This record gives sequence, C-alpha cells and structure tokens, in this order.
Amino acid sequence: MASRGRARRRARGPFERRGVVAALVLPGAAVLVFALAVPLGFSAYYSLTDWAGFGDYRSVGLDNYREILAEDPVFWRSLWNVVLLMMVTIFVQNPVAFALAAVLSRTSARASRALRTVYFVPAVLSLVLVAKLWVELFNPNAGLVNKLLIAIGLKALAMSWLSDPRTAVWAVIWIIVWQGFGWALLFYYAGLMTVPRELEEAARIDGASWLQVYTRVIIPYLAPVISAVIVIDVVSSMKQMELIYLSTAGGPGQLTQFIGVYLYQKAFVAGEYGYGNALSVLFVVVSLGLTLLVQRFLRAVPRDARDGG
Amino acid sequence: MMRDARRRRGIAFQLLHAGLILFALSQLFPLIWVFLYSIQKSGDLFGPELVAFPGDPQWDNYARAWTDGRILRYGLNSVIVVSAATAASTALSFCMGYALARLRWRLKAFVLGAIMLGMVIPIHTTLLPNFIWFGWFGLIDTRLGLVIPYVAFTLSFNTLIYMSQLQSLPASLEEAALVDGASWPRILWSVVLPLARPATITVSVMTFLTCWNEFIMANTYLASDDLRTLPFSIIRFQGQYSADYAAQFACMVIVAIPALVLYLAFSRHIMAGATSGAVKE
Repeated sequence: MASRGRARRRARGPFERRGVVAALVLPGAAVLVFALAVPLGFSAYYSLTDWAGFGDYRSVGLDNYREILAEDPVFWRSLWNVVLLMMVTIFVQNPVAFALAAVLSRTSARASRALRTVYFVPAVLSLVLVAKLWVELFNPNAGLVNKLLIAIGLKALAMSWLSDPRTAVWAVIWIIVWQGFGWALLFYYAGLMTVPRELEEAARIDGASWLQVYTRVIIPYLAPVISAVIVIDVVSSMKQMELIYLSTAGGPGQLTQFIGVYLYQKAFVAGEYGYGNALSVLFVVVSLGLTLLVQRFLRAVPRDARDGG
Repeated sequence: MMRDARRRRGIAFQLLHAGLILFALSQLFPLIWVFLYSIQKSGDLFGPELVAFPGDPQWDNYARAWTDGRILRYGLNSVIVVSAATAASTALSFCMGYALARLRWRLKAFVLGAIMLGMVIPIHTTLLPNFIWFGWFGLIDTRLGLVIPYVAFTLSFNTLIYMSQLQSLPASLEEAALVDGASWPRILWSVVLPLARPATITVSVMTFLTCWNEFIMANTYLASDDLRTLPFSIIRFQGQYSADYAAQFACMVIVAIPALVLYLAFSRHIMAGATSGAVKE
C-alpha cells in the first residue's frame, strides 16, 4: 500500500502536489485579499459616491475624480510636494549618502560598523517619536534649531520653521530626509562592498585619479543599485504620511499637504468619505504609475530588483 | 595594507572623515538633546543657553511620564499585538516563500506579481475602506483588527526575503527526507526551517520593529484608550499635559529605548534585511 502511494506521488512529483501548495499559499493569500485587495475594491466603489461615512449616500459617478483633477488645488499641491521631496531625496540626500558611504567603505571595519549603526538609528525609531522630536527641535522659542542660529549670530534666520509659510515645506522635507538618511547610506554602502577590488586597482594602475575611479568605474558598476535606490526613493516619497500628519498636519494653509494626509483628513475630519476614497484610488494609481515609469526609465532595474528581492 | 597606505593620502579624506563624524552627530544629537532636557525642569528648556546640562537631575519626570503616558498599559498592548502579528507574518511568509522558491504550480507567476504589487501599494490607501470593511466583521477597536493589517503589510516583503534565502539553498535535503517518507509538515519544520534560520531572524526582527513603531493604522482602527499601543504615549502629551515638556521628553526616551535595544541586539540582521531589496548579494 505504502509503496503504491509513494509511486503515485512520484509520478506527480513531490514538489508539484496541489494540496501542499494550497496549504502553504492560501492562508497568506487570504490575508492579502482580506486586508489589501478587497479594500481597494471598496475604495473604488465608495469613490463613486458622496457618502459622508454614515447615513445615506447616492452615486455621483465620476464627479469626485473630476473635482479632484479639475478643481482641487490642494490635490495638486500635495503631488507637487511629493515631487519636491523626491527631488531633494534624489539630488541632495542620495549624493551625500553616496559620498559618506564611499568614505565609510574605506575606514576600518570596526569604525565603519559603529558609524553605520549610528546612522541607522533614526530609521528604527517610531515615526511618532521622530515627528514629535522635530516639532520640539523646531520649536520657535525653545528649539535647538533657533538656539543654534542665535548662537552663531544668525538671529535673523530664527523662525517658526513648521508654521511659517516660507519654510514649512522645507522643514517637513528635512524631517523626512533626516529620518531616511540611514536607509540611503546603508543601500550605497552595501552596494559599494560588492565592487570587486580589482576593478578599482586596474583603473588606478591605468593612472585614473580618485574622482575618475568613482565617476568612470564604480558609479557605472553600481548603476543597478543606484537605480534601485531611486525607485525606492520614489515609492517612499509617495508614501510619506505620518511624519507630516504628526508635525504640520498639512498646514499652514495646506502648504505642506501630502496626498496620504489629505485623503485621511478629507474622510475622517471633513466627513467627505467618498471624496477621500477617490483620492485613495488616485493615490494607488499614481504610486503604481510612477513606480512603473521610473523602472522603465531606469532600464536596468526590473531585472535586478527581481534577482535581489 | 595597500588600502591603509592610500587612506592616509590627502587632506580630502581627512575632511571626509570629519564629515562622517559630523553626520553621526547630526543623527544622534537630537536624541541626546531630548535626553538632556528629560531630566531637567520644563522651564529649563526655555533658558537662553544653547544646551543646558542638568545640575540636579529630575528623575521624577520619568515617574510622571510613566503614569501620564500610560506606558505600562500601552506597552503591554504593543507587546501583545506586535508579538501576534510577528508570529503570524513570519509563519505565513515562510510557507509562501517556500512554495514560491521550491514548489512548481500554475499560478506562481501571478501570485509573485501580486506580492510585489503589495509592496508598492501605500498602507494609507487601505485606511478608509478597511475602517468600513473591518467594521462589518466587528474588527474595529479590537486587537485582532490591528494584527490582520499588520500581517498583510509585512507579508509581501517577508515572503520575498524567505524566497530568496530558500532559493540559495540546495533542495537535496528535502528530497532525501521525502524519499524517507517524511510528511510535509515535518520536512518544513525540522528540515527547511532550521536551514532558513538567518531569514527567520531578519524577518521576525524587522516585522517586530515595523509593527512596534506603527501608528496610523492603530490611530484609525482603535478607539478605546485601553487598547492603544506605545507610540500613543507620546501623543498623550499633546493635549492635557502639553506644558509638561520634561515629562514629554522623558516619555520620548522611554518609548525610544525598546526599539533601540532591539536594534542594537540585531543591527546586523536589520541592516541585512533592509538592503536585501536593492542590492544583489
């Protein structure tokens, strides 16, 4: 009996049995469907209504979407802020992180490990903590930022960073970039450690300067890593919500609004649940679209993200 | 040796090293600043000096932070919810990761695609619909109602970590166990799981940390104060205790400690896990 059963199993191949696959995949898939896929369907449905979150509602077709795209400057402002954040991340945070990672990759193993541990500290702290920490650091009267400016004789620059319309967006972006620095640095450090030593030595023997070693050899070699980090930056810039919600809540006057905060406030504060859901759907569409666009733009990425992931 | 010789060359590198230290300070100093003022009187924060060092440490700030911040209640809630979510997410992602790495089945490419999609979708887009949808099942304002989305949002990443780890291992041990007539649960538990131990540590530590720090889902799905999680301790100081800066800062320090301890204990695994998406090993 047992041998016959085994023979049958062999014919199907032990790694192809449906029951085993189902038992392994279905529980996880069920959670994903329940908490991710179904809600997206719900969002799509409610986005076509004028529901306030309670009571009766009626279908309004695509009115919410039309209003968002044609008549809602806050939506466009929130997208613009995402673009600003992306730019700062890609063109300021990334080069600095890369340079520091490059230096770090040449310090002694012990020092580099200790420093990396320090750099990543903000990334493991709760976003609530980080947000409230910076609210205090930016506190106009007691905050470290203004005290530091006064101490170095720049009293004129001391201001209410998070509530002044001139600085609020930049202060919020600073908080996000500060918290994310460790990630960028870590990615680049890990990438730099994969560069074969011989590549660099060969370039040095050919008479390349330090700068040339980086611009002509190491950076091209790391192109896939850099691309992957940029895609991650784009996705994570889109996804920022908690740090803004907990520091400025989109203010002053919606200037620091990000789409994640905006849809939340629309639904739960303004009582425009249907409208909030339309924002949600657009949020998903923009996130997916942007990710695909960047991946296509940086051609090396898709293959590499798959291999690495 | 050659690297050392080169390192000494040039003032540029010295400057860059100074940059490294300066940068480390910028990442750490805000926390030190919070600590320094957490053991002083609230009014000291508004003093004229750049940084005031405590002459007479006010440790009772921590006692007030502990009670006014409901640290014990919220902390316990966090431990319960986060442990459950971590255990479930690790177990489910191990199973899915194994099925994707080893087994041959028809919908594999589709499921893998869906999992990758799951990593791009912002959690914030599910907050609104889930508030209604979970309500249908009575999941709003329950611990389970928080555990489920925590599992859902960590599952994709964890599955991919397990998958890539398992793909790098030979299948010969499982094949031998199958020939010996071992059952699948037994093979997974006593053959595969021990081999995948590095992935298990990375996955469980990262999941624990992510859920431990999570705020917006807890803020949306929980209504009762008695169920709230640790990050809410800091939020409590916004309202009724907002003038008590010292206790608020002490509360921040208390909240930071568990995450920092976990991080320092597992920094290697956390950093390896964090980069696994972007860098080919």
